[in-house]
Amino acid sequence: MARVHNWQLGREMDFPYEARRPDRQFAMIFDTNKCISCQTCTVACKTTWTSGRGQEYMYWNNVETKPYGYYPLGWDVHILDRLGVQPLDGPVYQGKTLFDAAPTGEIILGYLPEDIDYAHPNIGEDDCTGLMPQGAHLSMPHMQWMFYLPRICNHCTYPACLSACPRQSIYKRKEDGIVLLDQSRCRGYRECARACPYKKVYFNAQTRVSEKCIGCYPAVEGGRQTQCTTSCIGKIRIQGFLGAPDAPDPDNPLDYLVFVRRVALPLYPQFGLEPNTYYIPPVHVPPPYLRQMFGGGAEQAIATYRAAREDRKLLGALLLFGATPEISHFFRVDGDQVIGYDAKQAEIVRVPLHEPPAVRELYDVKHRAYRTNIT
Amino acid sequence: MMRLAVLVLAALLAAASPAAAQAPLTAVRVPGSGPIVDPGAGVWRAARGVTVPMLPQTVTAPQKPEPAVNTLTVRAVHNGGWIGFLVEWRDPTLSTRIVVDTFGDQVAIQLPVDVTGPTPSPMMGNPGGRVNIMQWRAAFQHDIDYGPPSVKDLYPNAWTDYYPDEVLSATDARPYTGALGVENPISRGRASPVLDQMAEGWGSMTVKPDQHALGTGVWKEGVWRVVITRPMVSDDPNAPRLTPGVKTVVGFAVWEGGNQEVGSRKAWSPWVPLVVGAAAPARPAGATPPTGATGQPAGGRR
Ligand code: SF4
Ligand code: SF4
Ligand code: SF4
Repeated sequence: MARVHNWQLGREMDFPYEARRPDRQFAMIFDTNKCISCQTCTVACKTTWTSGRGQEYMYWNNVETKPYGYYPLGWDVHILDRLGVQPLDGPVYQGKTLFDAAPTGEIILGYLPEDIDYAHPNIGEDDCTGLMPQGAHLSMPHMQWMFYLPRICNHCTYPACLSACPRQSIYKRKEDGIVLLDQSRCRGYRECARACPYKKVYFNAQTRVSEKCIGCYPAVEGGRQTQCTTSCIGKIRIQGFLGAPDAPDPDNPLDYLVFVRRVALPLYPQFGLEPNTYYIPPVHVPPPYLRQMFGGGAEQAIATYRAAREDRKLLGALLLFGATPEISHFFRVDGDQVIGYDAKQAEIVRVPLHEPPAVRELYDVKHRAYRTNIT
Repeated sequence: MMRLAVLVLAALLAAASPAAAQAPLTAVRVPGSGPIVDPGAGVWRAARGVTVPMLPQTVTAPQKPEPAVNTLTVRAVHNGGWIGFLVEWRDPTLSTRIVVDTFGDQVAIQLPVDVTGPTPSPMMGNPGGRVNIMQWRAAFQHDIDYGPPSVKDLYPNAWTDYYPDEVLSATDARPYTGALGVENPISRGRASPVLDQMAEGWGSMTVKPDQHALGTGVWKEGVWRVVITRPMVSDDPNAPRLTPGVKTVVGFAVWEGGNQEVGSRKAWSPWVPLVVGAAAPARPAGATPPTGATGQPAGGRR
């Protein structure tokens, strides 16, 4: 066991390997408040990467409705149940990680889902927590609620999949932190599928080895964001790179949102993997659920997010979501616009902070029709 | 550091292994030539069955503390050109279908590559102590006997509109074939259900470029009878030279797929002394016919 620093837990932790942070870390931020569960991202990933034989029920990108949607079935409640209740209060996590909780003879606490668990990718979709009784009214947080949770592999800083593979078939790239599974080296033991708490390694029964999200590395190497990001209808995503947690660059939109403003939070940080997809929590969901899922900073993140209208730099960073297919390495707010720059500081996109209102005539003379929506 | 500790422990275990107490396995000289692949062949009646106790692998993680198979019955013969091992064990569940949560039955035979040098660690060798590991897989046997399973075979009710290989050229469809497209040797049983491999310690297993091991497995009435055979001498520098008269060691590992055994979740044996017989004894003392053997040639597979 090596001792490594996990900034999301605010402490050192045990990890089976000596691990060095990559030069920069592939990362993605999702604004859950904007996701409409259209599954365009899911289909974009599927048609790009997983439409072959044996990949029928394999979704490297999936979008599930919380709290009753899961893919595979019950993935998070199963592992939360096995980990047991842990203290989540305070800036330093005092509970056990999945590495701490490894049973004797195991590298990490995990479980292998059943085959049938992958057969219902849409289970629970649009299901609300309960019925609205007589007299129910709109309140914050909502009395009954649900929200959409898009998920890809987290390209974790301390990947469970990598640490559990007895053959070192999984590796984390030094140049961008993308976690890849070597298709010629894997022997189909499924230790990775058992270990990954997010269940983001899949078994292909045709090839008899495991497969996972590749972070669209051919696109990323060319300076473009991933397929699931650029295809996102709701413009809820941004993909780029995180720098060092202890030396964030406030001009990098991901560093700014994750490290500086802490408005985007990791998914189940208590597992101890330092996952690198980050979520702006849904504003209408009861805080206890959000604290369990995104850690103690959930309420503060929502407060920061809700004030973004008055916060020009934050607003600028949020408006880069879905604004360009290229990776924004830097950004700057200039007047009433936010500008995104590529790695060489060349401008790639310019977005107005405020859409100028346009009012059209109620009656369209050309088409001889009344307009029902004139703003 | 962890690896070093494992090696030290492995070496200790090797020194303390009950090899001395274990009845040696003698590869009896039998008539004939060519590969010895038939578990039902009459040649096995010439060989004494040796009971090999199997231990749970508990030295490295991950583990299966209670593996299903406790003993193997092993026989060995050679015909001057090929050496064959017949391994038998009770397994009530036939495991050949491999999907997310199911694992295949497997058995492996391990030999030191250098049969004259220091004995390598029984746990897949050690750096400098290379071993030859021949692993038979029930799923490969099924591929060879019945053809590789299609999606429809694995999931009879599956329906899809079309696959890339139905609408694209072979070259363009290749990226969608995953490990099959990069010819991962564990994806399919091809010519042989046995993988010819070498290792120098945990996690170092490599499928050799030249495959020499052959074999056949038959499951009947809750018993696997698996033959693994290889040329006694070859030009492969990573294969043992098993000339008549050689005294070396042999090790075994077995996986009960129905008990979710895979990889290091297995049962293994310490080294068993192996003698490559010089000439056929007239009648080996205590020779018993192998389990279920009728004296008839193998009547085909399952
Ligand atoms: S494409 Fe965007 S909005 Fe649609 S489901 Fe995916 S993440 Fe949500
Ligand atoms: S999310 Fe799972 S598959 Fe992806 S890097 Fe982390 S542990 Fe590995
Ligand atoms: S990053 Fe690429 S490979 Fe990964 S889920 Fe998104 S589209 Fe699929």
